[in-house]
Amino acid sequence: MPGSEYILEMNGITKIFPGVKALDNVHFNLKAGEIHALVGENGAGKSTFIKTLTGVHQPDGGEIILNGEKVVMTDPITAQERGIAAIYQHAASYPDLSVAENIFIGHEFKIGPFIDWPKMNREAKKLLDSIDANLSPTASVGSLTVGQQQLVEIAKALSMNAKILIMDEPTASLSQREAEDLYTIARRLRDQGVGIILISHRFEDIFGLADRVTVFRDAQYIGTWKLEEVDQPFLVHHMVGREITQLFPKKETVVGEELLKLEHLTRTGFYRDINMTVRSGEIVGLTGLVGAGRTEVMESVFGVTKPDSGRIIFRGEEVKDQTPTQMMARGLGMLPENRQKEGLLLAWSINHNISLSVLNKCQDGIFINRGKEYELSNKMKELLAIKAPNTDTHTGALSGGNQQKVVVAKQLAAEPQVIILDEPTKGVDVGSKAAIYEIMSDLASQGLGILMISSELPEVINMSDRIYVMSEGKVTKEFTDTKSLTQDDILHAAMPQSK
Amino acid sequence: MSQKTEKRQSLFSRIMNPKYIMVYATVIIFLIIYAYGAIRYGKIGFTTLRTFVNFFTDNAYYGISAVGMTMVLITGGIDLSVASVASLTGMLIAYGYERMGISPVITMLFSILVGIGLGALMGSAIHYLNVPPFITTLTGNFLARGICSLISRESISINHPLIDALAGFKITLYHMVDGEWVKIKPITKIDLTVIIFIVMIILGTIVLQHTRFGRNVYAIGGSESSAKLMGLPVGKTKVAVYAINGFCSALAGIAYVLVVKSGWNMALQGGELEVISSAVIGGTLLTGGVGYMIGTMFGVLLKSVIPAIINFNGTLSSWWGKIATGALLLLFIVIQRAVVSYTGKKKAN
Repeated sequence: MPGSEYILEMNGITKIFPGVKALDNVHFNLKAGEIHALVGENGAGKSTFIKTLTGVHQPDGGEIILNGEKVVMTDPITAQERGIAAIYQHAASYPDLSVAENIFIGHEFKIGPFIDWPKMNREAKKLLDSIDANLSPTASVGSLTVGQQQLVEIAKALSMNAKILIMDEPTASLSQREAEDLYTIARRLRDQGVGIILISHRFEDIFGLADRVTVFRDAQYIGTWKLEEVDQPFLVHHMVGREITQLFPKKETVVGEELLKLEHLTRTGFYRDINMTVRSGEIVGLTGLVGAGRTEVMESVFGVTKPDSGRIIFRGEEVKDQTPTQMMARGLGMLPENRQKEGLLLAWSINHNISLSVLNKCQDGIFINRGKEYELSNKMKELLAIKAPNTDTHTGALSGGNQQKVVVAKQLAAEPQVIILDEPTKGVDVGSKAAIYEIMSDLASQGLGILMISSELPEVINMSDRIYVMSEGKVTKEFTDTKSLTQDDILHAAMPQSK
Repeated sequence: MSQKTEKRQSLFSRIMNPKYIMVYATVIIFLIIYAYGAIRYGKIGFTTLRTFVNFFTDNAYYGISAVGMTMVLITGGIDLSVASVASLTGMLIAYGYERMGISPVITMLFSILVGIGLGALMGSAIHYLNVPPFITTLTGNFLARGICSLISRESISINHPLIDALAGFKITLYHMVDGEWVKIKPITKIDLTVIIFIVMIILGTIVLQHTRFGRNVYAIGGSESSAKLMGLPVGKTKVAVYAINGFCSALAGIAYVLVVKSGWNMALQGGELEVISSAVIGGTLLTGGVGYMIGTMFGVLLKSVIPAIINFNGTLSSWWGKIATGALLLLFIVIQRAVVSYTGKKKAN
């Protein structure tokens, strides 16, 4: 094609939703065989932008030029036919169908009206092999890990001869090693001439993979740079629009009494012989690969599952056969990993969300005392500086960072002594990350014990006073000095030894 | 920019909260249809208080059942057994007295226990055995209808002074004319069933809006997995909701007995759908999490006002009532989808 080195050009894209300009005259272009990162805070318009490309939304202005030809993406099918495929953070697959069925859904091989199963399974295997995915085409997708499901999604994209591949937060649910595997595959696809649009909050992804980077902020186009021209502070500055002086605001605290102690805790098949302590004023990091048993241990502590043997000592007392409600009453708080889905009722107001688990504190007899309820939620809103006009605001209307704050507020309302945070910054943009770290620091300095489960090694190293590393259900290492620790030290301890 | 953020939203913006849109839509459509009737048939008595009270009287037993149904729907469940349980209640009272000589007082209390027990049983199966509510309550529907037919396959009329007294209990309404209390013309009377209906709506509102239990009901419908993680008593709440619904079914059965004074194994067939559609027309989301008793009450009234118009017209086939109700139900489901997707879009930005 004469004139253009780009396989995709999107110029002046504008999208207006009732009352909101979601995209305001933004630009983006993509060459064949490059990985182009698209970054910005939550709500910057990245997802809407991708949806105009995949035909989910029709832009109200601007043009999409594909291979030098102006196109209109009327619906997702058109986009697919033109070689655009997207892989989402939460793989959009059919869990009860097989791997092969998922890969070829919508374009199955057929003999007359009937599906050609042998051919489909054969072709699926070929595609999977081409990306080094050792999966059976007949396995049901629901039985796979998130990482494996994403490989299936990639195979699906390849089966449609995708020339443009959109990866939306592909590594958010992956462990370090799975992410490395994904990087390798992405690079290989790039070398085969596929243009990849990478959306990610993780700088490791961006600096490890991308050739160029485009920044959006508040629905506006900020700029496009070659990766050699930028560094992390530069990107953060353009994404947030202000300087973030300290990403990890760790405060010095006085470490006090032991609050939580696990002795030889074992649950067969999940974890074994776990010894751990959390003291007041301390942030303890718990890391390891996904599937190492970190969450499972904490679920037992919280009373969701029962350990087979060992002891849990909470605030000097041994606890046994407790329900989550009872543990909360004793002063243990837990922020689940999938907070927005499980930690909040998005259709509810801030007020109702905060008070829900502590309504017993806002009661007169059997009736709810609305005054006390508002008093509590307003206090929390102020304490955590939740940005909203008032506590009647729907949590669904808040930014991701403020939703996180509401979830934290819910926990604090129960006045816990120990808080377990499961992946507190997963999928959170950089501005909100700093806010969450600050809250953690503040809580620790107020004498709470904090246990942070995380796969993000920079935050584990920079925020923790002590670090436990788990691998294959066991604690393989405890680091008491985090000052001079490197990511490699932790990774070394996290790798399975049996292989 | 206001310097000081308000502690709460203003009264106006609280009233205009989008979650009430469905209730307002129901009330407005009721008023429109009522106004139409008033203009067309005002001269022949459509606007009298008696006609209005009859909107309550006509479907009071469905209304009583709809109170429980609203709670079930808010948790994201459904109950297809309500009409059969109500029918069973009628049969227990009729057979108990006419064939076995047991006082209706005892059979009424007994059938309420049966209703609560069946409800708790179904709720337990739904929660602890993880059987979908549709299947569980369909089974409950067949079971109750089956027991009903086992007891008797013919209609048994009840002749007992207590039933007659309760059925005959009516409050006549008076108004002041020239300083004297006189009966409203045409004579307007409120039945016991209407009183039960209204009391149940009020009780339901208090439970849903002003107690922890009510908040838990909404939370479960909003997201059951979240509710569990927040440490809410999901199991107990769900079982209690189905038990309450069983109680309402039995109470509706008693109200129905007061109207027809008989027990019949085929009574109220398809009634569960009347009850569900009343709640849905009243703004309760079938997907759970949203619903208000006052909406349900207007849903029931809407189902009375349409046949009333057809009645007053005098020439239309009564089947037009079904068609109008169907159209209305469709309209409401479309409005619900529009409201849900509109608020969803607002969130996305």
